[in-house]
Amino acid sequence: MDNIANHENWKSCFSEIGPGLLLFARQWTRSASDAEDIVQEAFVKFWRRNHRIDNRALLYATVRSIALDFIRRDKRRARREATVFADADSTVEPQFEWEDEAQSALAAAVNCLPHDQREVLVLKIWNELTFSEIADALGISQNTAASRYRYALANLKKSLQPQ
Amino acid sequence: MNDFPELENELRALRPARPSPVLFERIEEAMVENCRTSAAADAGWLAKWFRRFAEWSRGDASDIDGQLVRARERGRASQTPYRFGIGLAAAAAAVVLLLARINTDQTRNEDKEIAQVAPASETRPVVPALSGGRDVDRSMSSNKFIPAGATQVVYNTRNEGLQFADGSREPLRRLRYQTQQTWQWRNPSTGASLRVSYPSEEVVLIPVSGQ
Repeated sequence: MDNIANHENWKSCFSEIGPGLLLFARQWTRSASDAEDIVQEAFVKFWRRNHRIDNRALLYATVRSIALDFIRRDKRRARREATVFADADSTVEPQFEWEDEAQSALAAAVNCLPHDQREVLVLKIWNELTFSEIADALGISQNTAASRYRYALANLKKSLQPQ
Repeated sequence: MNDFPELENELRALRPARPSPVLFERIEEAMVENCRTSAAADAGWLAKWFRRFAEWSRGDASDIDGQLVRARERGRASQTPYRFGIGLAAAAAAVVLLLARINTDQTRNEDKEIAQVAPASETRPVVPALSGGRDVDRSMSSNKFIPAGATQVVYNTRNEGLQFADGSREPLRRLRYQTQQTWQWRNPSTGASLRVSYPSEEVVLIPVSGQ
């Protein structure tokens, strides 16, 4: 994923990174349409300034920033999201295209992860960011990003084991 | 470091949902809109400057984002004429500078030329008919513009009601005149003409006599 694009081929670039971006935006929203609004605003803003996606950390930081602004703009939504994050992370559902029951169970397990771990997992697995880029995008250290990733995998492994 | 290779492979096999085609269309529209907006911003800076100047001279204010906010009337009768006066003085200063620049080659012993305040004078030669050879020589060598006319067309008058000046009991009627002023200069030797036209606004307070 070289992610080098000129001004004209934003479509091919977005086709490549769009699903991952949308999944990342879904971390803060409950509906796909809200996530698409966030991705649209972030991508257009980023592309207008850079005309290429060679700094992926900055792109994802832009998505995150706009998502947080989006939540702040609607106070009722913010209260609801805060309650959701505090009580049960499972209600924030990243959308996956699963093919069988095993994948369905895996998707459900991902949705049950704590928010900070799921955030790192989404960036690492479905957006192919390095720990350095994840650290830049989320404003955390690389060690924190790596440890959250390991915790996420461990929690997934644990939740998928037969009782 | 990687203790879960199988689990990672399973996760990678799980594909996130693709964006809807509508999102592509929306992004494309936003891209086009952004290009249009930035192009308009680049092309319209001069018009924007003139518009701001005109609005400032008639009492409007604008904020940082360029959104025009109507300034509140402050109740002072002299406020708008004061602003208008500054605007008019600036325009007059520009005209004077322009004339001074045009007439740099004018000598002291030249005949005094008088501006004619009449639209008809625009088509009438201001310099008298040349008869003597000396005058012909001077005319041929001259390269100067002389005032040829000035007009002020009132195209709108608005009665803004009565008001009281500070500390006065006599009512004043406030009339706002919107005009178009035009100044013109001609070069008799070449026939070239120069015309400056600009909108202006004037507020006049007329004392209302007792009945």
